[in-house]
Amino acid sequence: MSLRSIRQSVLILGFLGVSLTLLFHWMVFFWVSTEATLGISQRIFYIHVAGMWTGMLAFIVVAVCSAMYLWLRDDRLDQIGRAAAEGGLVFFAVGLTAGPLWARLAWGTWWTWEPRLTLSLLAWFIYIGYLLVRGATENPEKGKTFAAVIGVIAAVNIPLIHVSVLWFRSLHPEPVVVRQDGPALPPDMLITMLTALLAWTILLFALVLLRYGAARLEARAEELALDQGTTT
Amino acid sequence: MSRYLRQVWALAAKDLRVEFRTRERFVAMAAFVVLTSLLFNYAVDWTLLNPRDIASALIWMIIVLGGLLGLGRTFELEKEDGAMEGLLVAPLPRDALFLGKVIANCVLLGLVEVLAVLVVSLFFQVDFTQNWLAIGAVLLVGTIGFVSLGTLFSGITAGTRMGETLLPVLLFPLLVPLVAFGASSTASLLAGFPPAVVYGSLRILAAFSILALVSGVGLFRFIVEE
Repeated sequence: MSLRSIRQSVLILGFLGVSLTLLFHWMVFFWVSTEATLGISQRIFYIHVAGMWTGMLAFIVVAVCSAMYLWLRDDRLDQIGRAAAEGGLVFFAVGLTAGPLWARLAWGTWWTWEPRLTLSLLAWFIYIGYLLVRGATENPEKGKTFAAVIGVIAAVNIPLIHVSVLWFRSLHPEPVVVRQDGPALPPDMLITMLTALLAWTILLFALVLLRYGAARLEARAEELALDQGTTT
Repeated sequence: MSRYLRQVWALAAKDLRVEFRTRERFVAMAAFVVLTSLLFNYAVDWTLLNPRDIASALIWMIIVLGGLLGLGRTFELEKEDGAMEGLLVAPLPRDALFLGKVIANCVLLGLVEVLAVLVVSLFFQVDFTQNWLAIGAVLLVGTIGFVSLGTLFSGITAGTRMGETLLPVLLFPLLVPLVAFGASSTASLLAGFPPAVVYGSLRILAAFSILALVSGVGLFRFIVEE
């Protein structure tokens, strides 16, 4: 991908993502019907779930890029992985903030040692480590490899997050959208949910591309500086 | 295969020999274990808590923190005089190097664990004799997973400017299954339940440890490459 097409894609996807985000917030606040037992607090659900899903998607991208980087040693894979880790941290932070707000109203407590919640927080910290380790190495090549190793190990953790809800008895609701006998949500809630997911998935791709383009520019600037250093 | 095992053993024996002669890491970890237990005595109000109720928590946290102290210095020796380069040019597979380090660390941490159990039982009058075999099995299986991840991450942090301060940030998030299932099964065993109660937890611990060991064996070569 050339830098120019990256810039265009960022503009288009960014515009689309922001518009859809505004649209789904409007749907959450004014359009979708209120859930019968949980009441108005259930509206947090759309933001919480969309944040978690998008964060999870970003971390899957990190895992795939990490594994492929160790194999192919292509710098672009590392740049996409880093961009996705940054994006994932943002969306996970949204999900992890919205979760306790809703939990306070639905369960009566801000925080509970519910396994999926706990493991999401842990995943968040693993990716903090993934980003920290790059900054702490003197040789950037080494930092990329270290981060990729952490990315691969963390990937083992992601399925654990998902099955933990089945391993431990917990407060966390069972899946309502992805199930064998079809979604258990009324149509307007499902449409709102899917709009939220689409909006933030597009926004994630815009952010990842933006950071990827920046990383490419950084790499080029470094090359130019090196060239200058050798010629003068 | 036997050649591979001989290489692994030679590396583990080398590390253990160095440790046996200097006793640097063991003395530091042992002092940590005894002194932390001592501080715990003053941190906890024993009129409110029964020592037996929190004994397994004490044991596991002491092992994790004390272990971190020793694991963080796994590659300290190799930093000097280009010893790491020496090991890397030696005609042996990189995973043999990793397994050698893991075995040496397991032996070292195992000794520290024996000490931790003795100290906790002495200081807080906790009886470990009832289910000692099962408790030993839980500790052994957990140690393999802990040491595998710790050795791998220690290789990473040894190559960074932040060094050992980075180790808990990378390692602790992944230790949750270990501490959760390890400490809960130790607690059940200390409470006098039959060992059959913890088989489920032990299996999860074993799965965790095998996963940690296999990912360490597979990924270590990327960490030490030049």
